[in-house]
Amino acid sequence: MEPGHISDHLFRHQYGKMVSTLTRIFGFEHHQIIEDAVQDTFLLALKKWRTAIPDHPEAWLMHAAKQRSIDLFRHNKALTKREEQFTHGSMSLAIDQLFLDHEVEDSQLRLIYAICHPALKAQDQLSLALKMMSGFSNKEIAKALMLKEETVKKRITRAKKFIVDQAIRLEIPLGEALLDRTQRVLEVIYLLFNEGFHSSGKTSLIREELCGEALRLCKMILKKEYLRNANVYCLFGLLCLHAARLEGKVDQDGQLIPLKEQDRRVWHKPLLQLGLDSLAKSAQYEDHSPFAFEAAIALEHTKAKSFEETDWKTILNIYQQSHKEYPNEMNVLSQAVIHIQLGSFAEAEKTLSTLNQAALGSNIYLFHAVKAELLMGRKKIDEARVSLETAISLCSSDAEIRHLRNKLESY
Amino acid sequence: MKKFMMLFVGEDYPELGLSPEQIQERMGKWFAWNTKMREQGIIATGEALTYKIKRVVGPDRVVSDGPFVEPKEVVGGFYVIQAESFEHVVEIAQDYPDYDLGNSVEIREVMVFE
Repeated sequence: MEPGHISDHLFRHQYGKMVSTLTRIFGFEHHQIIEDAVQDTFLLALKKWRTAIPDHPEAWLMHAAKQRSIDLFRHNKALTKREEQFTHGSMSLAIDQLFLDHEVEDSQLRLIYAICHPALKAQDQLSLALKMMSGFSNKEIAKALMLKEETVKKRITRAKKFIVDQAIRLEIPLGEALLDRTQRVLEVIYLLFNEGFHSSGKTSLIREELCGEALRLCKMILKKEYLRNANVYCLFGLLCLHAARLEGKVDQDGQLIPLKEQDRRVWHKPLLQLGLDSLAKSAQYEDHSPFAFEAAIALEHTKAKSFEETDWKTILNIYQQSHKEYPNEMNVLSQAVIHIQLGSFAEAEKTLSTLNQAALGSNIYLFHAVKAELLMGRKKIDEARVSLETAISLCSSDAEIRHLRNKLESY
Repeated sequence: MKKFMMLFVGEDYPELGLSPEQIQERMGKWFAWNTKMREQGIIATGEALTYKIKRVVGPDRVVSDGPFVEPKEVVGGFYVIQAESFEHVVEIAQDYPDYDLGNSVEIREVMVFE
């Protein structure tokens, strides 16, 4: 490494590595000491590296954090015995092994697999993963997930307490349990990505960071041969295809640009290619991924050179197949949108009439927005306006309301 | 050329709850500032200080431990640099990275005895 230069986000990424490794050594129950030690290490670096950055910043940080944890253990009388174990004899030699690169990665995987224990709430897992794996502060998490800092703190505390109380082991489960747990880990990664990708009102910096973290964690799983399967490759492919479009889908104010109006020239080609390769790889495995349908749809969108050239028939087909396997009312709504896109208004109406509106929950406003589209297609402008106004009255997102109002004005 | 001391006054970082990302960003700014001054060849010396304070007072040399002042008034580090004037140092001090934390730079001229 060129002296005097450290890579972007090194501290944040290193935080996850340091916390994972130290947690594996000292045990999850000492997470507070560990997090303090890691924090102290960064602050030490802040002062020490002002005049010169060490040749191997990562190794420096890791070593300093280990020393600092041992110091903290030493200060805590109840834990002195433990400290002796870590600094003397064969155990200390074994510990040194854990600082090798592949062991550090292994520790990170163990930690995320523990965090994704099925008994924990997904929302708590998300906050805890951002904290321990990705080195976000509570404040940063609150900003990224649009929550109160207090809520984030509560979720993290609750999740940590659960892991300690249940003595959840930091290990990757074997056999059947492995598949289930991997699925859970992937779901959390998927949630993390969606937080960055789908909700509006966030700065592009926050979007990029959340999506970047999701990609990074997914890649970490793919690096382990025994964890690879169609599911992981499908999710990674899906995330790449989505991430490639990230820059084109948000305007300068952080507002979403509808697919129709996106400039496809700014889509990131290398990521698209990586996505395609990953999806191709997934075909070599026998398992069937719940992410496969969504990936196939994303693939169709990226294939189209323009919005007008989108192969809606194929996409509709994928939605229908997906609905058979994973029934979901949002899917039905998407099918109606495509029928409208194709000009088959009768089909769209039929689809909308089969939809279970109650199951849409807070997304019910979308139902009315789609209905408005359909009525517009049929040139029933007055009725369309009424539907759109209903949609606006049921919508709680400011950005979405703005979007719907613009539409209303254009009618 | 005269000699000046820039004293950095303010709260210690641990009290501020900075995230790893913010720490790295701040460190980058300190590093850039240091490099800039070094390239100009104006640094005589400079150190960061720990926040532990002991004070020896009075004819009986009574030793006491801090804190003696408000946390935001503690000196956390210094540079001694060569510059033409106070105005020149003020200009150099523009790049001090921690103003946004409420910290400040105090400038003093080093006295010369002929």
